[in-house]
Amino acid sequence: MPSGALLLQSVVLGLLLGGLYALLAAGLTLYFGILRVVMIAHSAFLILAAYLAWWSHTRLGVDPLLSLVVSVPLFFCIGVGLQRLLLARLRPATLTMMSVLLTFAIAVLIEGLLGYAFTGTQRRIQLGYGAASIGFFGARIAVVKLIAFGLAAVALLTLYLLLKKTTFGWALRATIQHRDAARLVGIDTDRVAGFGFGIGLATAAVGGTALSLDTTIYPSLHWHWIGPLMAIIVVGGLGSVPGAAAAAMLLGLLQSLLQIPMGTTWAQTVFYLALFATLAFRPQGFFGGRLAQRF
Amino acid sequence: MPSVSDSLTRPADPAAPVASPAAAPDGRQRLGRLLSGAALLALAVAVLSFPAWAPNPYVLSAGVVVLNYAVLSTSWNFVGGFTGYISLGHGALAGLGGYATGLLVVRAGLPSFVALAVAGLLVAAFAVPVGYAALRVRGASFVIVSIALVLILLLVFQSWASVTGGSRGLVVPRPFPDLLRPEHHRVFYYLFAVLLGVALLVWWLIDRSRFGLGLKAIREDEDKAESLGTPTFGYKLVVFVVSAGFTGLAGGLYALWFGDLDPVFQFSILTGAYLVLMALLGGVRHLFGPVVGALVVGVALEYFKVEFGDTQLHLVATGVLLALVVLFMPDGVLPALGGLRDRYLRPAQASIREVTAAELWARRAAESGSTSTVTGPAPTDPAGSGPAASGGVERATADPDAPEHVAAEPGAPTTEPEAR
Repeated sequence: MPSGALLLQSVVLGLLLGGLYALLAAGLTLYFGILRVVMIAHSAFLILAAYLAWWSHTRLGVDPLLSLVVSVPLFFCIGVGLQRLLLARLRPATLTMMSVLLTFAIAVLIEGLLGYAFTGTQRRIQLGYGAASIGFFGARIAVVKLIAFGLAAVALLTLYLLLKKTTFGWALRATIQHRDAARLVGIDTDRVAGFGFGIGLATAAVGGTALSLDTTIYPSLHWHWIGPLMAIIVVGGLGSVPGAAAAAMLLGLLQSLLQIPMGTTWAQTVFYLALFATLAFRPQGFFGGRLAQRF
Repeated sequence: MPSVSDSLTRPADPAAPVASPAAAPDGRQRLGRLLSGAALLALAVAVLSFPAWAPNPYVLSAGVVVLNYAVLSTSWNFVGGFTGYISLGHGALAGLGGYATGLLVVRAGLPSFVALAVAGLLVAAFAVPVGYAALRVRGASFVIVSIALVLILLLVFQSWASVTGGSRGLVVPRPFPDLLRPEHHRVFYYLFAVLLGVALLVWWLIDRSRFGLGLKAIREDEDKAESLGTPTFGYKLVVFVVSAGFTGLAGGLYALWFGDLDPVFQFSILTGAYLVLMALLGGVRHLFGPVVGALVVGVALEYFKVEFGDTQLHLVATGVLLALVVLFMPDGVLPALGGLRDRYLRPAQASIREVTAAELWARRAAESGSTSTVTGPAPTDPAGSGPAASGGVERATADPDAPEHVAAEPGAPTTEPEAR
């Protein structure tokens, strides 16, 4: 039986990890909600942002968090461009399938370019405060993990306020709910969809910077992220942001707890087991809305 | 819409209701069919005689790899081509077939080819629960499951070292230990060719069957197919299992040929992406589309391996090529070539859907040779759709006495927008 301190440590780490998962899954959910697009390249952009943070730290000598100033607007613009220039060209009838392939191609392209530019060597940011940790009832929590969680929480809160309190968020939610009806009441849905895509990609920029603080990165790392994220959005019910967030916290916590008896590798299987169980017994997801019924 | 009826691109297919002209088969049409047959024969001869003129064993082994890709891609096309469901996980099914064959030979001591057959069956059986979870809901979930399949199998086969050999890999004993290497390549080349032939034959049979018609109906409009009584879930599951079985056999044959399995390469999501790229590039609705795609992409992959070695450039090239195909040529090269052939060798025959009311009216006016050309739309036109009133793009399908090109096309797409 693991000690109480170890359990507490796992719970805290699981919640911190779950926060990051929640932010990233929220981005994926946005894409899916707006366009029914499964964005495979989301985690590739995550790694790209992490590389930007690493690069700005090692080459320019600035704190990795400062790279957010560049990467968030940059990713927003890339996202808008991606939606308006590439995804909008696909035929509506096969959009779901073809968009998967297109975003897959983008993911492979990013991985290849990262590998070409920075080689496959594993990279890690060495921070002055990287080793610092805080004692918490016998559990030791690294400061960088707290920063990463704080970043994710702030971004998620911003996203929530943006969606719930602003006119743009109102238009975005209307577009997600019923595109034609949204157009009828005068919403420029194409524009809103583009901006929504940009916001989704901006979450990857924030997540990637948070990730780079305490993780060793390499170009093919994104495959380790896309699987869990996909599982989260299916378990949460495709298209439901609160569902994705709840599933992210739950599965992150479960993964962290299962690492005690099973080890890190086997603990990852919890995502895939949850994915298969959800699809086999409750295909619309456990927290999901009506969107998942058909898609 | 992608769903211009198949009869346009595959006119020799008797299963598809072809809008055939009432006129007697015309010489140019026969020539076109002859050309198709000649191309097919040339392809078969080229494939079968390749070992005889391959300059060295390396080229022959590259030929085996390309043939392996051709079998895998054709197997993928059972699902991707017929139902339109895109799987990125077929690479993992092939890897599973390879590992199943290898483990049955190494651990259970089965003879190589018995192990291969059993492995094919095992992979097909494995596909049943996977397909059950993946195919119950539409679209996106299937892709997600297929990706998850690759990742979870990689995880299991890397970590479960006591059975699978883990990251050190698994050595599969050769089925013909006394053959020299070039001879070994030659034997497996023909084995792969036979498997390809069987896969193509089954694809062709399904394509002509009622079952195939149901699958294609799912591709065009799953809701309508279901409301017309097609058992959509059952059909999708059956074709997924067939596809998985062939994929497993190809993977197992690869294991027997190559003799060394590494989980990183066997359960690579990239393999699955290559298969999709090959099939799309060649044309998923065409029997030989995946084979043509495998030839192009497989040769390109070998070239990149030789020229650029370990750099990541092959990833960049794969990504760019896949994006270009998806954006600009989602129907593949074979339909494009077929269109070219039709343009020069066939009379202008097409679905009535491509004829506007204005053109129809002009044609009829010309046929009757009457003076009604000056009085606007003919009074007999029951739709009353004058070209001016409808902007000239009114579709003439509602016209009951349209010429012989009007053929009822069951399962043909409608023009109403898809639910997004």
